[in-house]
Amino acid sequence: MLNKIKTSYLSLLNYFNSDARHYQMTFQFTFLMTGVFSLQWNITPLQILAVFCTALTTQFLLIKFTKLPMNALKSGGISALSLCLMFRADSIQIMVLAAVLAILSKAIFKVNGKHFYNPANFGLCATMLLTHQGWISPGQWGSAGTWWFLIGILGFLVTTKAKRIDIALAFIGTFAFLHGWRILVYQQWPVDFFTHQFSNGALLLFTFFMITDPASTPSHKIARVVWAGSVGALAFYMQAFLWINGAPLWALFFLSPLTPLIDYIFKAEQFSWKATAQNKIFQTT
Amino acid sequence: MKTKINFLTRKITIIAMLCLLCMQSKKSDAFCGFYVARQDVQLVNKTSQVILVRDGDRTTITMSSDFKGTVNEFAMVIPVPVVIQKNDIKVVSRSLFDQFDAYSGPRLVEYYDPAPCNNYMREESMVMDMVTSAKGSAENESKDEKKLAKYKVTIDAKYTVGEYDILVLSAKESGGLKRWLLDNGYKIPEGAEEVLDPYIKSNMKFFVVKVNLDEQRKTGMQLLRPIQISFNTQKFMLPIRLGMANGSGSQDLIVYAITKNGRVESTNYRTVKVPSDRNIPEFVSGFFGKFYASLYKNNLRKEGKDNVFLEYAWDISGQAQVKCDPCASAPPLANQLSEAGVNWINYFSGGYTGNVFFTRMHITYDRENFPQDLVFQETPNRENFQCRYIITHPANSSYNTCSEWGPYRENTIQRRKKEVRELAALTGWEVERYWEYPAMFQNYNPPTSPELETGSTDKPVDPFIQHIPNTNLDPGITPTASRNKFNTNISSSNISIDTIMPEETQTNNSTIDENAVAQTDFIDDQPFKKETTKDWIPGFGIIALAAIAGLAALHKKTG
Repeated sequence: MLNKIKTSYLSLLNYFNSDARHYQMTFQFTFLMTGVFSLQWNITPLQILAVFCTALTTQFLLIKFTKLPMNALKSGGISALSLCLMFRADSIQIMVLAAVLAILSKAIFKVNGKHFYNPANFGLCATMLLTHQGWISPGQWGSAGTWWFLIGILGFLVTTKAKRIDIALAFIGTFAFLHGWRILVYQQWPVDFFTHQFSNGALLLFTFFMITDPASTPSHKIARVVWAGSVGALAFYMQAFLWINGAPLWALFFLSPLTPLIDYIFKAEQFSWKATAQNKIFQTT
Repeated sequence: MKTKINFLTRKITIIAMLCLLCMQSKKSDAFCGFYVARQDVQLVNKTSQVILVRDGDRTTITMSSDFKGTVNEFAMVIPVPVVIQKNDIKVVSRSLFDQFDAYSGPRLVEYYDPAPCNNYMREESMVMDMVTSAKGSAENESKDEKKLAKYKVTIDAKYTVGEYDILVLSAKESGGLKRWLLDNGYKIPEGAEEVLDPYIKSNMKFFVVKVNLDEQRKTGMQLLRPIQISFNTQKFMLPIRLGMANGSGSQDLIVYAITKNGRVESTNYRTVKVPSDRNIPEFVSGFFGKFYASLYKNNLRKEGKDNVFLEYAWDISGQAQVKCDPCASAPPLANQLSEAGVNWINYFSGGYTGNVFFTRMHITYDRENFPQDLVFQETPNRENFQCRYIITHPANSSYNTCSEWGPYRENTIQRRKKEVRELAALTGWEVERYWEYPAMFQNYNPPTSPELETGSTDKPVDPFIQHIPNTNLDPGITPTASRNKFNTNISSSNISIDTIMPEETQTNNSTIDENAVAQTDFIDDQPFKKETTKDWIPGFGIIALAAIAGLAALHKKTG
């Protein structure tokens, strides 16, 4: 009996461990709950529900029409979570629109069977451009030190599992280096000016959970590091000189269309979520 | 009905005056730049009020001041992103701030219970606002600037506007700027130097203001009028770093932001709503100003000191039907908005058209918690928000002639107990002193609030001390002892609890358990659940992660 429980438990664990998206969803859900209950985020339970229902329904229809595996519903869930974490609107319709655009972008912006926009990124940027109604709140995380540490570590685990830690490091490295140089060396602000800038939950969430999306980033290893670095550089320029809020999101939005071009020039094996099932972080065999 | 309104109006006035008295001891208004006083004058810079109007890149900043020194010692320096032209500088009326403050301040709403033996409608009857006082005066004289090259300081512009002499400086390096300021009789507060260089490197200009004594005499006014500057910039921000230098401890800043599309929030600090729509005991109306001050401080402890607090957000567009609900004072008029710098509305007799959104933020900043200047963004969020506290007056216990009175009385006692606990949760006060309040519907004379009693309103706020009501009760004072203590307070005002209580008990035919109103109720009970912080959630994440990692390791081991 005990053995049976143990076996079923282990198989459950094995299943959980088989897909990096399970980790990502767990962590994102924890962040969302903390944001709602502890940080007073400006999002209502009804909005969360609406985003989830819309994203999952759209994803389901997409699966039916394009004959994708049912597994892809998980990606819909992740997009919904990302939208709830980052996107704000004062009406449900706008949230719903963002969710629909996010999921549909996977079917529309597609080259050689690979979508090149991160769905949540596209959903929120396109909605803001089209309606001028939504917004992002980079300040909503506050700057409690434990927070960015936690997000960093958890994000690290997810990206290691999805083998995309190089993108995260290239982006945050470029972004932090340019900012650090400008703030500390050129303008000579006190050090805590810089640490305040980088102890922002929104930035770390973007770094470890959005730009690292393996499905939409370039496949070639060196090419994608350069690409991520240029996203960091553009984000720096937009933030420091153009005073654009949520600059990393916009930088990713504008540079994502380069992905198919990079993939065309630098050939490499395309990422699939199934393949990662073999790469378990806790299991070497 | 009319007499009732008259009575209420009088009551409002009295309470407002009380609040005014309460607030005057605490509030003082200042600029967000920094004061530079003449040598050896103590620099005090506690509270600033700023009106921030933003439309696209066009920004208008109006600053109100309460400078505490003598007028000729006044001077101020504000970093600005561009050289400001003369016709973009104005002095505006001080009443603008009073009006905006009164309109957007926290408010108290009173309701009256319908008498259970008589069907009255539940009626919202009175609104009261927290009145803050704006006062101040300052002055200064200007000196010639010579040998500018030596300081590597350039005077980009020089104006006299109203009672002010204004210089716009740009500098090449902080050393020169500092020497120029010192040599021209300005005192640079300790700590301000570290941000001079960054501001220079960010291409900021320095807007230096002193008082022209002759012009000031001509105005015939005692107080300095607020100064207003307008410019075009992509940077939607308020430079607070320079102002931190001479503040003793933390400084308070109230920002009234007026925009076209929606609520303004900070992008580099968390913007948090102040707790609102809470039911509090009716006696709080006697010291509402103190109540709100304690609530704000307590909330600062709970949410953290590095936050921006949202106190008011309202759509005051010309076509908006309800420009406040309830109105603490009349909503801003077209000419007031225009004076503040709103140039996108169209007047017509009796009103205006155009989208206008009013946001009030309260920031308590210090060097430690606010390493960066405040950066804002205008969001499309048009949701209204206000700090509103509700008091409910029970029905008159002399009309307790029906069978409904008993249950009504029981419910009301429970409700009033809740109100007292809410008061504890909101303010952190030791509320066991109000133990008689729940069962005493009429003639309750509350002991003074803790802070009124001690007079220590400016206790330093320590974020590391999580203030839980009642825990710091002196263990030497037993509930009975403290109860006796408060009893003496009450009996001194000729209201004896001992005589009222049994009488009520007899006439109501419902025995009131002593426990129902025991003082210990408020000592043993925890404050509301919703007031406790949810620190366990990130903890849950860590535990979940550790559990997964542990189990996976186990899994690997067992094969």
